[in-house]
Amino acid sequence: MMTATFGLLAVSAFFLWWRKAEWGWAAVMIALILGIVIFMGDVDFSSKLGVQL
Amino acid sequence: MKDDILSPAAARVLNLLGMLAMTAVLLGAYVYQFSYRELPCTLCQLQRVAMVAVALGAAMNVMLGPSPRHYGVCLVSAMFGIGISIRQTLLHINPFFDSKTGQPTLAAASNPPFGQPVMGLHLYVWGVVLFATVILAVGIVQLFKGQFKAGAPEPEWLKRVASLGVAVLVIVASLETLTTFMECGFGACPNDGGWNWWIFG
Repeated sequence: MMTATFGLLAVSAFFLWWRKAEWGWAAVMIALILGIVIFMGDVDFSSKLGVQL
Repeated sequence: MKDDILSPAAARVLNLLGMLAMTAVLLGAYVYQFSYRELPCTLCQLQRVAMVAVALGAAMNVMLGPSPRHYGVCLVSAMFGIGISIRQTLLHINPFFDSKTGQPTLAAASNPPFGQPVMGLHLYVWGVVLFATVILAVGIVQLFKGQFKAGAPEPEWLKRVASLGVAVLVIVASLETLTTFMECGFGACPNDGGWNWWIFG
């Protein structure tokens, strides 16, 4: 999934450079949502950090 | 304050400099990665995603002209990046903590930092500094609304330099995709810092 996230950013950067594509902002938002999904999968919610909020 | 103190062309140059600075940080991370032979962890990769996204927002300002939407891309990406950086900083902020038992301990190196420090700070702490700087800089630049005037002429030299700069970003983003594919394949990235060589048989 991380590869797809970087790939999406790379493709939108390429089309911005080549065709001045204006949909890059939407691609970034999708990439960030993918990033949040990856982050949530990486967090070990059962572990404690020894701190309290 | 005069509205035209920052012209659209000057704003494009500022964004180009910001984009190149972010690209230089990404290339610096590669130098670090290969000189210390340390592959990026999942959180490190996510911070790189945020850096590429911030650079892409600046690149949109450069190629399409300054717009609040493009600055918004930078801000949202920087907020994502600073969240990840703070998370990783907090994971390692207490060296006397046993992550297995979840209890404080006096044992040495019970919660070691990830990677080598650069100028006294680890990369994820630099991430906090970098993304906070982006948020501050974008906030300040947006104060000048003269840059948002539509139909302002774009100098020919700026078109050429902008195209060259964004081409560098395209190359760096493609490199990130390639090295991430080599490390993670199409699945989750390994957190033990190994390459997924199964892809190459």
